[in-house]
Amino acid sequence: MKRLRSFFQKEACPSADVACERLKIMINQDRMQRNQPEFLPRLQSELIEVIRRYTQSDQGDIQISYHNLPQRTQIELNVSWPATRS
Amino acid sequence: MAKVVVITSGKGGVGKTTSCASIGTALAMQGHRTVLIDFDVGLRNLDLVMGCERRVVYDLINITTGEAKLSQALIRDKRVDNLYMLPASQTRDKDALTFEGIELVINELKQEFDFILCDSPAGIERGAVMAMYFADEAIVVTNPEVSSVRDSDRIIGLLDSKTRRAEQGESVRTCLLVTRYDPERVEHADMMSVQDIEEILAIPLSGVIPESQAVLRASNQGIPVVHDSESDAGQAYMDMAARFLGEDRPMRFIDFERKGLFSRMFGGRR
Repeated sequence: MKRLRSFFQKEACPSADVACERLKIMINQDRMQRNQPEFLPRLQSELIEVIRRYTQSDQGDIQISYHNLPQRTQIELNVSWPATRS
Repeated sequence: MAKVVVITSGKGGVGKTTSCASIGTALAMQGHRTVLIDFDVGLRNLDLVMGCERRVVYDLINITTGEAKLSQALIRDKRVDNLYMLPASQTRDKDALTFEGIELVINELKQEFDFILCDSPAGIERGAVMAMYFADEAIVVTNPEVSSVRDSDRIIGLLDSKTRRAEQGESVRTCLLVTRYDPERVEHADMMSVQDIEEILAIPLSGVIPESQAVLRASNQGIPVVHDSESDAGQAYMDMAARFLGEDRPMRFIDFERKGLFSRMFGGRR
């Protein structure tokens, strides 16, 4: 019924669905941040600084993600930089 | 054993005080000795909603500082037996409250009462943390609206980390109360449904209060809406309190009843 109605209404997507989607994304982010240790932002910026000292990585080429595993806590570090042709 | 219950939400204006007044009244109607504590220092309103604002002499801070005895500050409800309230201070600085002071007050109240309902101030700062710190259970009040749901999630995070139970490795039993629910707008997909909210917040639903004219009417008069047993909101609060006490009741007022032409023309407002 909801679907049928939204089909005939001009709006592309019912606003309640938009609200749900936005909330799920926001709340996921909030929860991730909530569970992160306080030192993480500092560690991140120091890691980026050190890595960029040696590579030609842009800020966006360095990705640091934080995971809570059942037994351990993990930081995943992905670094890339433009290929240098010799 | 007395139970300490915090009514909290994060966001302001979603119905914490209204809910605290009505759920507390309903618990007392069932014969449980109940006391309501207003934690909103500087913005006290629970006494207004309960209709006892003119009988406030001493407040919570007066007790914690020793200026008054608990028995002097407790206000007995005129409508229901077994129901008392403890007002917040309107004039004092909110830093005047301390965890130690509150602990003493709550421990003393535990001797006398079955339920101690703590009406939390809005926000996620010290005042809100203080209201929830000694809680055994929490009722998270949420409106079907993005900012309210997000703030509720943050409050749930605090309940999981900043309470005494959390510090001791236990958990605060937390349940969800959705207020100002409008089934017609949900039907038109312009409002999130209770199922959506329950899924996002991932705590069990224990009540839905429909958007209702009766709520404002009740607070205008200083009579908790649960006394208005004709009204949908009043009945919904009765249901909520019964569920809180462990009774299994189906959710009402969550489905949109299509009105016929006749009632649309002559039905008037509920």
